[in-house]
Amino acid sequence: MKFNTDEIASVLREEIDRYQTGIDVREVGQVLEVGDGIARVWGLSGVMAGEMVEFPGGVTGLAFNLEENSVGVIILGDYLKVNEGDEVRSTGKLLSVPVGDAVIGRVLDPLGNPLDGKGPVTTDKRRPVETLAPGVADRQPVREPLQTGIKAIDAMTPIGRGQRELIIGDRKTGKTAIGIDAIINQKHSGVKCFYVAVGQKDSSVAVAIDVLRKHGAMDYTTVIVAGGSTAAPLQYIAPYSGTAMAEEFMYNGEHALIVYDDLSKQATAYRQLSLLMRRPPGREAYPGDVFYAHSRLLERSAKLSDEHGGGSLTSLPIIETLEGEVSAYIPTNVISITDGQIYLQPDLFFAGQRPAMNVGISVSRVGGAAQTKAMKKVSGGLRLDLASFRELEAFAQLGTDLDAATQSRLDRGYCMVELLKQGQYQPLDIVDQVLSIYAGTRGHLDNVKRDEVAAWESGFLTFVRDQAPEVRSRLEETKALDDETERLLEAAIAEYKRQVQGTKKPEPSLAGTN
Amino acid sequence: MTTEESKRSSPLAAPHDIGAARLAKVYAQAIVEAADRHQCQSEVVEELTHIVEDVLPRVESLTSVLESPRITTSDKTALVSKTFSGRVSTITLNTLLVLANHERLGLLPELVKALRRELDQQAGRREAVFTTANPITPDEQAAILKSVEESLGESLTAHFSVNPDLLGGLVVRIEDTVYDHSVSTSLVSLAERLKQRSIHEIQHRRDRLGSA
Repeated sequence: MKFNTDEIASVLREEIDRYQTGIDVREVGQVLEVGDGIARVWGLSGVMAGEMVEFPGGVTGLAFNLEENSVGVIILGDYLKVNEGDEVRSTGKLLSVPVGDAVIGRVLDPLGNPLDGKGPVTTDKRRPVETLAPGVADRQPVREPLQTGIKAIDAMTPIGRGQRELIIGDRKTGKTAIGIDAIINQKHSGVKCFYVAVGQKDSSVAVAIDVLRKHGAMDYTTVIVAGGSTAAPLQYIAPYSGTAMAEEFMYNGEHALIVYDDLSKQATAYRQLSLLMRRPPGREAYPGDVFYAHSRLLERSAKLSDEHGGGSLTSLPIIETLEGEVSAYIPTNVISITDGQIYLQPDLFFAGQRPAMNVGISVSRVGGAAQTKAMKKVSGGLRLDLASFRELEAFAQLGTDLDAATQSRLDRGYCMVELLKQGQYQPLDIVDQVLSIYAGTRGHLDNVKRDEVAAWESGFLTFVRDQAPEVRSRLEETKALDDETERLLEAAIAEYKRQVQGTKKPEPSLAGTN
Repeated sequence: MTTEESKRSSPLAAPHDIGAARLAKVYAQAIVEAADRHQCQSEVVEELTHIVEDVLPRVESLTSVLESPRITTSDKTALVSKTFSGRVSTITLNTLLVLANHERLGLLPELVKALRRELDQQAGRREAVFTTANPITPDEQAAILKSVEESLGESLTAHFSVNPDLLGGLVVRIEDTVYDHSVSTSLVSLAERLKQRSIHEIQHRRDRLGSA
C-alpha cells in the first residue's frame, strides 16, 4: 500500500500551525544506582506507589518502594539503557495496556507491544494493569458451564464461567496441554481467550502459539509472553496485564478465559525483585506479600451480576510443583485462593493415563452448579467410584483371589479409566462426552476389551452422529437426559453393539485352512 | 566539565552518599536548634562554611586525618580543641568536638550543605536552579527570579547555570519539580505529536491517505 504524501504533508502542516508551546511541568529525580532490572532514584518526592516513571530513551519504570531518601523503581524494558545520573520523570499515570478487539489474535509483551510482527496494536482503549477486583455486590454465583472439552474435567471437576480452577502438577505432566485444550474448545462458544506465558522457554511458547494457530484458535485468543529471558519486572506484571485485557471483555458483558502459565515462575520473579529491593524475605525467601500478589490477581476473575452485564472471567492458573510437593509455600497459597484444583501426577502420566488427573484429590468447589443436567446425571458418583477403584486396585495387586462382585467393580473401573483417556488437542463436544460417559457408567463397555475401548467409543460417537441423530439433537436442545432420550439412547447403543458384533470376523481357525 | 560532573555539581543533584546526607540532616537540625538558643545561627553557619570551604582545602591531608579510623578519637578531639579553641564561637567548637567524639568529622562538607538547606527551610525559602542556553546578565537574572518568585508566591535561593543543549528558553527546577520552557523540549514534544498524528491518520483514515 502506498501513501499519498501530499495528504500526510497537509496533516503535518495543520498540526504545526496549531502547535502551541506550553510549559512542560514535571517532577524529576536522579538515578543513583541501576542494575538487575531495578533502579534507586533520588528525588521524585511526590511520586505515588505504583506510579509509572520515565527514564530517558523512553524506558518506563514502576515506583515500587518508597523509602525515606530514595525511591526503588522496577524497570519495564531494557535496563541496560539506563545510566547512573540519568534524569527520571514521574508521569502521574498508572501503568496501562491496550485492550479491546484490537488485541485479539495478537502476540504481545506485558506492556502491550506487539511481538508477532503484525504492526502496531491500533486502539485508543487502555486499561490500568492493576485494578481492584469487583466487589461482593457486583457478583453473582457461578452458573454457566465453561466446557474444556476434556471428558475427565467436564465430568468430574466441572468448571463454571467466573471460576478459578488451579492446574497443579510436576513438570511434564500435561499442565499446559489442559490450558491449551480448554482454549481450543472455545472455538464456537464465543469465549475470548488469553494465554499468559510467564518464564517459559521461548521455544515452548512458539509451539503453543503454533498449535493454537493450527486449530484456528488464534482468531479469538491473545498470547501475552514474558519468556524466561525477559527481565523479572516484566515477568512479574505479565499476569496483571493479561488480566486487564481480559477484564475489558468481562466488563462489557462478554465471557473470557485466561490461562496463567505459570504462577510459580511469576512468584519467583517477584521474589527476585523483592530481594533486590531489600524487602525482608519470608518463607522460602518469598516476600511477605506474595500471597497478596496472587490473591489480588485471581480475585479479578469473577461472574458479574446481571446489572453489570453478566460478563465473566474464568481463570486457569498453573502451578508447577517439585516432586509432587503440594505443601510448599506457593502451591498451598494458590490452592487456598482458587475454587478447586486439577492435580496431575507423573506416575499416572507415564502409565498412559492422559490427562494424568488424580481423581481423588482433584476438586471443583463451585463448578457443579454450572454443569449441564445431562452431564450431572451421567457423571454423578463417577468421581467417588473412580477414587474407590484406585483403592481397590492397590488392594488387588496383593494377588489375593477376589469375589465376583469385587472383580466386576475392578473391571468397570479399568474400563472407565480407559474411557477417560483423551488425546492432546482433541477436545470433545459436551454431547459426545455425555454419550460416552453414559455408555461407560451404565456398563455397556463391560464386555469390551480394555485396548478396544477407544475404538469402540469413537465408533459409537460416529454411529450416533450418522444413524441416531435424534439422540444428539434432543441432548443439544434440552441439555438434559430425560426418560425419552434415555430410551432412544439405550436403543442406539443396542443397535451399535449388534452392528459391531456383526462386523467382527470370526478368528480364522487352523483347522479350516487345510 | 563532563556531563557526569555537571550532573553531580548541580546544587539539586543527588548526594554522593545518601547515608551521609541523611546523618548530616540530623546533625544540622540539632546544630540549628542549639545555635538558635544562643542566637548565633548565622555566625555558626558562617564559621563552619569557612572551615569547610577555606581551611580544609588549604591544609593538605587534613581531610584524611579527620576521616581516618587509625587516628584515635582522643587524638582527634585534642587536635580540634587545640586548633579551634578561642578562634571560633563556643557553639561551633562544641559542634566540632561532638563530631570528633562520634567519629563524624568526615561528614563536615555534607553538614554544611544540610545546614544551608535547613536554614532555607526555616525561612520558607526553596532552592531553585535556573538553566538557560546562553549566559544572562545579573539584571536579567534578578528580573527572572523576581517574576518567578511572584508567580509562585514564595522566595527562592537561586542558582544559575548554562546548558547550550537547550537551544533557547528557560528551565526552572525548584526542588524536584521542573518547569521546562526550553526550545529543545518543545521540539521533542512537537516531533512526538507529529508522529502520533501521522500514525493516527494512517490507521484511521486509510482510504483517504492510501492508494492500493
